Amino acid sequence: MLLTIFFVLSGIVVKAFDTPNDDGSSITITWHSDSTYKSYEILRGLNPNVQFDKICEANGKDTIFFDADVTPNKNYYYIIKGKNDSLINLSQIIGPIKSKTQFFNMFYLNLGICIAVLFFAIIFYIMRARSGGKLFIRRIPALNALEEAIGRATEMGKAVLYVPGIMDIDDPQTIASMSILARVAEKTASYGTTLYVPTSRSMAMSMAQQIVKESATKVGRPDWYNPDNIRYVTDDQFGYVSAVDGIMVRDRPAANLYLGTFYAESLILAETGHSTGAIQIAGTAMSDQLPFFVAACDFTLLGEELYAASAYLSQEPIQLGSLKGQDLGKLLFVMVILIGVISQLINWPVFYNLFNTCQP
Amino acid sequence: MKRTLPLIIVAGSGFFMLVAFFIPSKFFQDTSQTFQNWYIGVAAFFVFIGILNLVKINIEKIQRKLRDWRYCYILLFFLAFTMATGFIQGREGKAFLYMFYNFQTPLGATMFSLLAFFMASATFRAFRAKTPEATILLIAALLVMLGRIPVGYWIWHNYPDLVEWIMTGPNTAAKRGILFGIDLGLISMALRVLLGIERSYMGGGGE
Amino acid sequence: MNLIERLSHLDRRVIFLLVAFAVVIPMLQPIGLPIDITKPVKKVYDKIESLAPGSIVLLSTDFDPGSEAELYPATEAIIEHCFRKNLKIYVMGLWPAGSDLGNLALNKIAPRYNKNYGTDYINVGYRPGGAVMLLSLGKNFGDIIKVDYQGTPIDLLELGRAVKSSKNLGLVMTLSAGDPGILHWIIYFHARYGVPICGATTAIMAPQQYTYLGSGQLVGLLGGLKGAAEYEVLVNRKGRASIGMDSQSIVHVLLVIFILLGNIILLHQKGKR
Repeated sequence: MLLTIFFVLSGIVVKAFDTPNDDGSSITITWHSDSTYKSYEILRGLNPNVQFDKICEANGKDTIFFDADVTPNKNYYYIIKGKNDSLINLSQIIGPIKSKTQFFNMFYLNLGICIAVLFFAIIFYIMRARSGGKLFIRRIPALNALEEAIGRATEMGKAVLYVPGIMDIDDPQTIASMSILARVAEKTASYGTTLYVPTSRSMAMSMAQQIVKESATKVGRPDWYNPDNIRYVTDDQFGYVSAVDGIMVRDRPAANLYLGTFYAESLILAETGHSTGAIQIAGTAMSDQLPFFVAACDFTLLGEELYAASAYLSQEPIQLGSLKGQDLGKLLFVMVILIGVISQLINWPVFYNLFNTCQP
Repeated sequence: MKRTLPLIIVAGSGFFMLVAFFIPSKFFQDTSQTFQNWYIGVAAFFVFIGILNLVKINIEKIQRKLRDWRYCYILLFFLAFTMATGFIQGREGKAFLYMFYNFQTPLGATMFSLLAFFMASATFRAFRAKTPEATILLIAALLVMLGRIPVGYWIWHNYPDLVEWIMTGPNTAAKRGILFGIDLGLISMALRVLLGIERSYMGGGGE
Repeated sequence: MNLIERLSHLDRRVIFLLVAFAVVIPMLQPIGLPIDITKPVKKVYDKIESLAPGSIVLLSTDFDPGSEAELYPATEAIIEHCFRKNLKIYVMGLWPAGSDLGNLALNKIAPRYNKNYGTDYINVGYRPGGAVMLLSLGKNFGDIIKVDYQGTPIDLLELGRAVKSSKNLGLVMTLSAGDPGILHWIIYFHARYGVPICGATTAIMAPQQYTYLGSGQLVGLLGGLKGAAEYEVLVNRKGRASIGMDSQSIVHVLLVIFILLGNIILLHQKGKR
């Protein structure tokens, strides 16, 4: 079916077509004119012989209109009226135009391919790990120091403070942090060390309570679990940091673990923790806060190391396989970047345009 | 079933939302919209859970006369008072706004201001040229700190342009590299969660 | 113990005291240091200047009282500029306290330009949901926004009726202290619906936004108090940011001295070994 129709009207070229990559609820009308009009009126009707209703008044400088009030597979007819003081020009009737539902947004095809490539890389290495292939993962000092920090707290008879960031469980860093919390809780439960987990969000508190409780049960220490040690403080960023600082200064935990999403409060937490003499391990994917943690903490997980932590700590082949797959994906993207840089240098826009993701 | 059902929900809804991003059809868009609305509703409801937890812990502290139990009265009083004024007078009520502008705003600003002091003490303590990388960081920090203030412009009129170059050149390149790594790590972790390989968020450690 | 050794054991409270003096003294005795205009800030100014009168600017106040010192002066400067250009302002907040702070600025500046609520500006208040909410908002404002911050049905307000989807917006100006913020507007609004985004953020977060400036996803950026001060200069307004720049300058110089001092101590300690 011919969906694109255009007419010439007294110097106005009008084009109408089904808006691409949508759910069939929109028709695009574009026009341009050699003469200047003060405004345009777009009129729509269901039948060329019946009354047309005005659906939009466009500025004289506008050249495009999206009629988003259409039903898929229904015929529509349009007239454009160019108005200029006392002069009004009407176009011929344009139509019938039908909108259709597209089943795949072709504009995101490049994104879909990139995600698919990454997924296959990860799944490839997971399958390889399942079949018993040996995988090498480099040492991450901050994660190796976790056990040391918990041991130090146990020897000193003091608590471990775990701060899972200030965002909610829809934040991937909080989920990564919760994965590490499970391992930390297992260790502290088995040693009988107190674990404080103040949270800034109530959903995060619920998740943390569940995780710590199950970790305690897993190591055979369900009695160790105290729900009052995992508490919600406040959603307010600086109210939360005041409360955590208070815990640090009053209870003097021997090990402070900051793992998750942090903003401006990162330095306040780290400096206060440093002043109490605690060993501090931090990890965040917030690149703005990394310098503060690196400066003020003993060990820091940088960016993606936080996401890799759970796999690294478990040492399960399947999880390690996903890390290798991620690295393969990274290698592929580096190659794409290099080709992209070269293509820009030699002025070859075809390659660059393959990665455009902004809707026109 | 206790562990299988959450995995099915996570995998099902996660992959559905991923696929819905690419499919413009009304069914997929409306359903993903419904999931998003459910999330907003659940998130709003959980505020009550948090408040209940806060109240429970503070009341227990008062009953058991634990350390600093008297401060719990202050917390509970202001919690109740703020909620009452908000519910009775609305968000534009005089008492509610008074507390926002005269309590919360200055207190939040005060805590944020601590950064200036902690930044100074961290700078003195930790910004030392112990390694070549630390030295480069140090020099860049010195240049940017001076260039970002009128003093830099006063020293040399093109100083701010040098700082802009550092921000748009090396800084942007480094940030992009870090962001690529972080985002790839994020996708990998998300896939592990969707496939059920990563289950520690449900409690009790991994697989 | 010589001076260098004494300095290496300097009490933090002495450092805090010096910083306090460095902040307070220039406020009591202003120096009036000149403020240069940087390109990212000029781009925001030029973008707003390029909008036709009557265009709608969505001003998203995504910050809380903690970041008020840096972002509130920028809010006032942007609002003043918009009103001067006869642009319409649609305020909302992705953070709970943000829209109240936006309201404060609107109520202060609107009367000076005889702007009327409902016609020239509107505040729809805090909208929870972050990214999830933004995805729905761009397509159809009516799905998400039914009432303004006072509970008035949005259809009763002229500006509320005028904004049906992202296509009705000339610009999104987000004043962001974190998450949700600039990144969310770029990912879920600009990339999906093509609306130009300008941002203002705290000084700590500004370096990260340069990646989006470079790629064109962000039109311009006001970074920290300096960015706000530059904007005040561009719109010819004597605000808190310009006044605060003197203090910030002296503190920066003090930090540079601390860094140099710390490294002199390091060299001395290395020499001793």
